Amino acid sequence: MKKRTMKVLALFLSMLLVLGTLSACKSKEPEEKPATSTETPDTSKETETPKKEETPSTEEKATEEPTSTTELPRNETLYFGGQQWGAVNGWNPLGDNNNNAMALSSSGSGSRTVMFETLYMYNFLDGSMTPLLADGDYQWNDNMTEITVKINSAAKWSDGTPVTADDVAYTYETCVKIGNNAGNANKLYIDTITAVDPSTVVIKAVLNEEGKAANPLMLVNFLGSFYIAQKDWIQKVEARNNNDPTAIKNDPGEDVVYSGPYGKYYADDQKVVFIRNDEYWGKDPSMWGKLPTPKYLAHAIYADNAASETAFKAGEIDVNQQFIPNIQDLWLKEGLPISTYIDEPPYGICVNMPTAFYNLDKPVLQEVAVRKAIAIAVDYDAIIANAMTGQSPSFQEVPRSIMNPTEAEQSTYDHEAVKHLQWVGNDIEGANKLLDEAGIVDTNGDGIREYNGENISLVAACPNGWTDWQASMEIVAAAGKNIGIEITTQFPDADTYQTTVTSAKQLDYDIFMMWTDSASPVQPWGRLRYLMSNEFNGLDNNWSGNYGHYSNDRVQELIKLIPTETDPAKLKEYYTEAVEIYLTDIPSFSLMYRPDKFHAVNESVWTGFPEQGDGLNIPPADCTDGYGIAALYHITPIE
Amino acid sequence: MKNTIRQIFHSPKFVAGFSIFVIILIILFVYPLINPGDPLQMIGLSSFSKPGTYVSVYDAIDTEKAIMKLPNADEKRLQNKLSDEDRIAMKEWLLATGTPEEEIDITDTDHLLKLWKDKYDPSIKPKGMTMAKRNYYKRLNTNLEKALDANEVVIATRNTEDGTLDETKTVKDTEYVNTKDVVNSIYLPLGTDNFGRDVLKELVSAAKTSLRIGLIAGSIATLIGLTFGLLAGYLGGFIDDFIMFITNLFTVIPGFILLILISYGIGQEQRGATTVAIVIGVTSWTWTARSVRSQVISLRNRDHVNLSKLSGHSLARIILTDILPYIASYVVMALILQISTAILAEAQLSMIGLGPKTTEVPTLGLMMNWSMLYSAHTHGYWWAYFPVLLIIALISFSLNLMNTGLDQVFNPTLRD
Repeated sequence: MKKRTMKVLALFLSMLLVLGTLSACKSKEPEEKPATSTETPDTSKETETPKKEETPSTEEKATEEPTSTTELPRNETLYFGGQQWGAVNGWNPLGDNNNNAMALSSSGSGSRTVMFETLYMYNFLDGSMTPLLADGDYQWNDNMTEITVKINSAAKWSDGTPVTADDVAYTYETCVKIGNNAGNANKLYIDTITAVDPSTVVIKAVLNEEGKAANPLMLVNFLGSFYIAQKDWIQKVEARNNNDPTAIKNDPGEDVVYSGPYGKYYADDQKVVFIRNDEYWGKDPSMWGKLPTPKYLAHAIYADNAASETAFKAGEIDVNQQFIPNIQDLWLKEGLPISTYIDEPPYGICVNMPTAFYNLDKPVLQEVAVRKAIAIAVDYDAIIANAMTGQSPSFQEVPRSIMNPTEAEQSTYDHEAVKHLQWVGNDIEGANKLLDEAGIVDTNGDGIREYNGENISLVAACPNGWTDWQASMEIVAAAGKNIGIEITTQFPDADTYQTTVTSAKQLDYDIFMMWTDSASPVQPWGRLRYLMSNEFNGLDNNWSGNYGHYSNDRVQELIKLIPTETDPAKLKEYYTEAVEIYLTDIPSFSLMYRPDKFHAVNESVWTGFPEQGDGLNIPPADCTDGYGIAALYHITPIE
Repeated sequence: MKNTIRQIFHSPKFVAGFSIFVIILIILFVYPLINPGDPLQMIGLSSFSKPGTYVSVYDAIDTEKAIMKLPNADEKRLQNKLSDEDRIAMKEWLLATGTPEEEIDITDTDHLLKLWKDKYDPSIKPKGMTMAKRNYYKRLNTNLEKALDANEVVIATRNTEDGTLDETKTVKDTEYVNTKDVVNSIYLPLGTDNFGRDVLKELVSAAKTSLRIGLIAGSIATLIGLTFGLLAGYLGGFIDDFIMFITNLFTVIPGFILLILISYGIGQEQRGATTVAIVIGVTSWTWTARSVRSQVISLRNRDHVNLSKLSGHSLARIILTDILPYIASYVVMALILQISTAILAEAQLSMIGLGPKTTEVPTLGLMMNWSMLYSAHTHGYWWAYFPVLLIIALISFSLNLMNTGLDQVFNPTLRD
């Protein structure tokens, strides 16, 4: 009896073992990571509006499109990666929940103009504005309260009717009326937009007490970020939704009329495909003079970064917006036909500065000494070398400030004046000394300093699956260990994380990472406001910045003074003062520099992508954002 | 007892498993003595450095030199910069820019290099050539220039006052240093990981943690399983039904799912290595309970047990002296298997990001997790994940081998 039991037991146990092993194998494959991974989140949203991730509207997408589109001719299709995660919800330029990255990505650093177009195209390489729907440069009036924009007479909607000034005025009016993101972001600065005649638009600024424009920079920003929709179509949408703002915003807009070179061809939960509109008005000599080369733009929807990276290496993605660790190995070691805009580190144009915010609602972090000690103890070189695998300039090369590494922003402040405040990190000794002097010491000898009799124990957080951010937080935590402050990392899922940090008050995370504004016409003012303005304190669903709830009256004055200041010397003085305050008070500290969009190309099928020094001045913006879309007119299929 | 142990050590399977296990243990405890220091220290400022010895270039300059004239040094140097594929690629470029084919001889190095020097111009964009390819030529050209330009490299220091460069030393291509003489060097048998940490040091520390997790989890699981199994089997009746009800409940819910839920539930800040071990322990006791129970059922009506009962011995005494010894060998075997499965469970949990906190202790699963996150498997950084797999495999292999050996000794049907 016993023998048999033993046998059966042995069998059971071995089966258990086998099953265990099998389940081990299985669970390793589908990584349970949110798809967002290291996708650079849509940064530079100069908006007060929340970016909610709502579930798709219940009506399924209309099943009108043929399914025979799965076979696209490879040499006529440009494949994208790293932009679209999850199925598209809609095509409505008035809506906020389209989850349609390829068609609708409005941003100050250059809106994506594949399907819908803006008046101008922003180029973050030189800050220039190239007319798109507009004709020629915009004109300020003498006291800078109004901008006049001419509409290109060649511009046509996809139904063949011309784009008029009325369309611009009506789109803006509707956006403000229904209170969507675009409307809310601009209504504080733009009073009215009127169509003087069918081809002339006048944009009037909101005036401050002194009768000046409240913020002229935001008007320029508007020109490059605001999508224009057709008045007739908007009225149709309003009519079918009985003028209900929420219903209008949630309208899927399958019948939308657009002005861009591509329209919807096919979309499901596997991929999104755009087809070229061969009647696109841009082939007019006053604009591009020809059609963009690829007949189709396609974006397959991948489960996660790893899947997307594998597809990119296999040549199934041509243009990829994704952080790939040690990307240089793809061409140096594996010999793949993959390139980035620059052939050397940092491989891209870094315009963003992912930053660790201190939660100033926490008493211990109200101590400047603690904030400074942690900030100077962090090994930034390790973050840049190991977390970013060298894809960022170091803080020796670009000393810290509130400006991004571009020449245009670096020249806005006096480097010498703040030199004594700019730390490069890994200064354990200095940090320890600072804490000792502040009287924050370890009295009970457990290796952890106390504050008000309690061990200082902080939580450093960032979303799970955002690989380089997670690694950065680990390095911050390691710094804490060296200076007697316990820092533990926490990686919640992205939704939970973002809901927490954008709330009016939270005590869950003490040090947490967020991106900052990238390049745009309002920078570096926008970033100053983003990092330090107290106007967002106490607001729930605050996506506009200063997540640590810092407050400083002088900073508020500067935020008000800078936009209307036209004297360059004075401006430099203000910016220098702002940097000085930022580096003295340390409400947050940047951990790295980063491109707004990662831009890597695989030239298995297409070639002729923008590269540094090619003289074309096309920014590496995934061939779609702002003036980056010019790349679509230069690429050619490989021979 | 002595006899049993002797018997056990006569089983070749057990001895093999035991030796592997002991060797691993010795390495785990001896290596940190030879190479002390924090296993989580980020020494490297570049991710995934290859295994090998790294000598300080800075110190090498000041190290005593020996002049050696190796016959094929130049050849090797050139081969390093100019492989056969490079030669073919150079030919392609020359052809694409209009050099007639008969002029190009890729076997004649001097001729090829001269031709290249004359003709190559980075600003030319041959038609149809990709950016990736052009960048490749630029790099090749820089490499060749470096290889050919000078046979002497000048070391200079920057004058702190006026910023000019002062020549301090020259390095000839025939100078060599003994790597032992270089003041600073580090031997990284398994390279570094994505954080620039020494993989071997980390691995040793991680294996220790994983073993500890296995031991704690295994003991807890066995203890719970044993207690429940003994009580249910011996007492029978309502208590048996009740315990079996709970056990079945735990059995039908897949243990790993339960593990994920609990780990997620307690949150990362609470998840130290010990907590994870406890969680694994309390979710994996069911099979032990079931099998102990069935064994006890077969034992409880034996004559010696009945005799004890008649003698009025207490429940605890009967269980401990009359039943437990009979299943002790089985319990030891179950414990070994539990340890092995617990180590695997930790690895799985950490792989999906639910393991212990990263900064405190390294564990095998965490090492796998980070190397996955940094695409070590697709980029071919084998040293970051393969040794981890190997050590997991070895530990569970040795434990299972020991188990089979024990089975052979204690299971009469298997006895030789």
